[in-house]
Amino acid sequence: MNGRRVPRVLSWLAARLVRGPEAPFVLTDLDDCHDRDLTRGLPPWRARGRYAFNLIASALSLQAERLRPSGLRPSWVDVKLGLRMLVRYPVLTTVAVLTLAIGIPVGVAPAHLVDALEAPLPVDEADRVRLIRYWNVETIRTSPTSVADFHRWRDTLTSFRSLGAFRMTSYNFDPGTGQVVSVRGAEVSASTFAVLRVQPLLGRPFAAGDDRAGAAPVAIIGHDLWRVHFGSDPAAVGRTIRLGGEPYSVVGVMPAGFEFPAVQQIWLPLPDGSTGNPPSDRPVAVFGRLADDTSPESAEAELVVAGRDLAMAGATARERVMPEIVPTAFLLMGGLPKSGFRGLPEYPLIRLLTLIPLLVACANIGLLIFARTATRSSEFAVRTALGASRARILTQVFTEALVLAVLAAGVGLLVVRAAMDALVMRGMAAAGETLPYWVDFSLTQATVVRAMALAVLSAAIAGVVPAWRVTGRSVHQNIQRARAHRSGVRFGGLSSALLVVDVAIAVAAVSFGIGLAEQARATMENGEAAVGIEASQYLSAEIRLPGATAATGATSSDLVVLRTRLASTQRALLDRLQAEPGVRAVAIASALPRMDHPIQLVELDDEELAPGARGHRVRTALVDVGFFEALRHPILAGRSFNAADVADGASSVIVNTSFSDRLLGGANPIGRRVRYVSRGSGSRSGWYEIVGVVGHLGMHVLTPDHDEGIYHPAPPGAIHPVRLAIEVGDHPEQFTPRLRAIVADVEPHGVVVEPVALDRVYEGDSYLIAAIALGCMLLVGILLTLAASGIYAIMSFTVAERTREIGIRVALGADRARIAAHIVRRAILQLAIGAALGMPVAGRIFFELQEDAGHPSAILAMLMALGTGAGAMVLVGLVACVAPTLRALRITPVEAVKVEG
Amino acid sequence: LGFVGYVGEFEQLVLFALVELGAEAYGGAIREAIERRTGRVVSSGAINTTLGRLSERKLVRSKIGEPMAGRAGRPRKYYAITPAGARVLKESYATVQRMAGGLLARLTDLAEEEV
Repeated sequence: MNGRRVPRVLSWLAARLVRGPEAPFVLTDLDDCHDRDLTRGLPPWRARGRYAFNLIASALSLQAERLRPSGLRPSWVDVKLGLRMLVRYPVLTTVAVLTLAIGIPVGVAPAHLVDALEAPLPVDEADRVRLIRYWNVETIRTSPTSVADFHRWRDTLTSFRSLGAFRMTSYNFDPGTGQVVSVRGAEVSASTFAVLRVQPLLGRPFAAGDDRAGAAPVAIIGHDLWRVHFGSDPAAVGRTIRLGGEPYSVVGVMPAGFEFPAVQQIWLPLPDGSTGNPPSDRPVAVFGRLADDTSPESAEAELVVAGRDLAMAGATARERVMPEIVPTAFLLMGGLPKSGFRGLPEYPLIRLLTLIPLLVACANIGLLIFARTATRSSEFAVRTALGASRARILTQVFTEALVLAVLAAGVGLLVVRAAMDALVMRGMAAAGETLPYWVDFSLTQATVVRAMALAVLSAAIAGVVPAWRVTGRSVHQNIQRARAHRSGVRFGGLSSALLVVDVAIAVAAVSFGIGLAEQARATMENGEAAVGIEASQYLSAEIRLPGATAATGATSSDLVVLRTRLASTQRALLDRLQAEPGVRAVAIASALPRMDHPIQLVELDDEELAPGARGHRVRTALVDVGFFEALRHPILAGRSFNAADVADGASSVIVNTSFSDRLLGGANPIGRRVRYVSRGSGSRSGWYEIVGVVGHLGMHVLTPDHDEGIYHPAPPGAIHPVRLAIEVGDHPEQFTPRLRAIVADVEPHGVVVEPVALDRVYEGDSYLIAAIALGCMLLVGILLTLAASGIYAIMSFTVAERTREIGIRVALGADRARIAAHIVRRAILQLAIGAALGMPVAGRIFFELQEDAGHPSAILAMLMALGTGAGAMVLVGLVACVAPTLRALRITPVEAVKVEG
Repeated sequence: LGFVGYVGEFEQLVLFALVELGAEAYGGAIREAIERRTGRVVSSGAINTTLGRLSERKLVRSKIGEPMAGRAGRPRKYYAITPAGARVLKESYATVQRMAGGLLARLTDLAEEEV
């Protein structure tokens, strides 16, 4: 203006930097400001500088305005549109909700489970209550703490307001009626209830003198025990009960839901050496309430310093054991490091794996939304022409996907909650298993928040990515394509590749499912047969003796005393049982036939394993000398165990036929030698000589006739807890009361656990089978659903793409039936190519999963599985063709004539 | 009227400029008015952003003017304060005044102490 124009270079820059609907006004303002600056007398160079400054500031503010979240904030109209879309595209809704309802709960499962297992105790200021434990840095496990540790910490630590100690045990409980049942209980220090700030519902807590030698024996009972055995009678306080045959006076009843430390219903005073009662050498757990203003870290620092002082004074020889302070939930998880489950190296991998179903679901739903979005490109083109920004359209599609995802997350969480109640909790209750009282798997706010976060993520992947591609072209192109009623989006080779992957997954899933079903059926059918003995004639039971575990720091002489005590108890028990009328034989072992035997690795005498090699996987058991005779199980080769085999330095073992067949190729195993290879360090044990061969006795609940097994002879006292198989004839469970009486006679504190007929012993693990079967079924279901939804997505998309072409053909008078047949033929061809390429992959997976895969019956099963899987997927693909084909066939000639292509 | 909302310090400056300029309130004029009255240098970008937000809150309204020959046919955008904007500005300014009531002398003392 007036010859004082803005320099050309700045105008040129302004035209490029200032974009968008507001650009004309902003440019006018910039010019105005420049003119005004000159008018009020600023030198031209300064006016130009201010112009440049304003230009940059304006360009940045316009850019920021475009990126402002408020522009992307979904409106209520978007939500309503999303809800309408749910009804308008019912198949997409069903598929999306089904797959996301699987993917989202699976994705949040690890964090939910960890939260539940690491939950604090339900007590006042629970986060101040902490466990003190020893952590062995070499074994990466906890080491037991003793009563002496408890006393020392109680007397020296200032970081804790108060400390308590307990040890868990079981009691033969007689409420006074003469009927004995096993009840889980704990010996607790008098301070325990005060540390937890929980008072008895009735009666009193333990007092300082209750643990003194010679004091009247007292007990506090749990609410459930009080309800079941005393009919919730307030007069139960003061009554006498018998524990291990000895009388105790009930002094208190704890409130409902209190089962500290885990599932306990009886509490006795912990014998406390400081009050004249010698503490036993059995380990205890120590816990305490932190003092005010003391953090767990500073408390631990004090603990470590105290431990170091002791070590300097030579009071302890623990070199690799460090004291540490952890949440109370860790008391049942000895192998869990201080950082908890989240600190385990496997945790990130598990989290990643559990997100895979969600990602696959998102990819499939993304395809379906892609197809839907592509068919709506004309709508978006018109909206763009009317001024809607790309971000606005993306927000709308995102909101539609979010409505779907939130609905699916809600459905998924409800299903999981129902499944937890119906299957897991009832299943555990049926199996007699109980969770620690502080563990609660019900839905928490944190889990719901996590699920909703995953729903947002899913909506972003499944909604925004397809919409981004569809809206990526210019308005002009979109309008042109909209006029031609084409989405212009093509998959190319991607659809074929995805089909192949989906078919392969589906076929593999079906194969896996069939394989599992076969194994589960065999397990159930083999329930009695596979044991190879007259199992129905035997009563099996586990006998637990109190004080059979030594504390950290127990000396070798302590261990000798302990073992001698266990040996004399075992001998006395065996003598009593063998003298009992009706008892024909008694077998003693660490694990009985059909129970889960521990796995170890071995190497044979004629092989030299490479340093990193794993060795052969075998299952092992410790058995008494007369074990096989007592079970009337024949020795097939060599000899049975004799008394010399349990002498010091003896190294005889007996193997089963699987061992000789598989590891020795059927050669005579007698005289051959084996030794154990440590999994971690690779160190070797001494050699063991094979002296005999027996048939299968079943060493695992799922594979009764599979595992290679080694039996070691064990002298009395070497096995704890011992498992007995007592041959008493038909209906062996009737012998249970007599067994309890004999055990109580021999060792009043000995507890008889899980007495059951030996042919039903595997039923104790039935919850395990049920859980595994359920988990596998769930996995197969998830894989099948995901694969089917993927195939559906691709097929419906490819047919939807041809809607126009079909419409024109119909308009030109083509036979509808022929068109439909043509579409279906093409779909089958695509699926067949997918199956042909995918089936070898699935076959490979099948062979990897199945044992004995080379057997003709296994090959037949595989072919059946492949056929079933492929057939199911072709069916899903055809169903996916139906809706778009019908839609295409409904196009009227008038509509078709409008199309110019 | 109940809750009328609140505007920040810079928004108050922009709204007062609209009150002063009346029908002649466009970007350049608003900037100059603020600079003239406050002595503060403000950028066009800050004013545009603020006007955009005030428009979203319906505290100001805008009108596009006639195309201008001297500006390559581009129009100006004129802004005016709405009744709601006037209420919010009044209340916001009054709030600051109420808060500051009787405190200025003390504030001066404190500021001198700092020095």
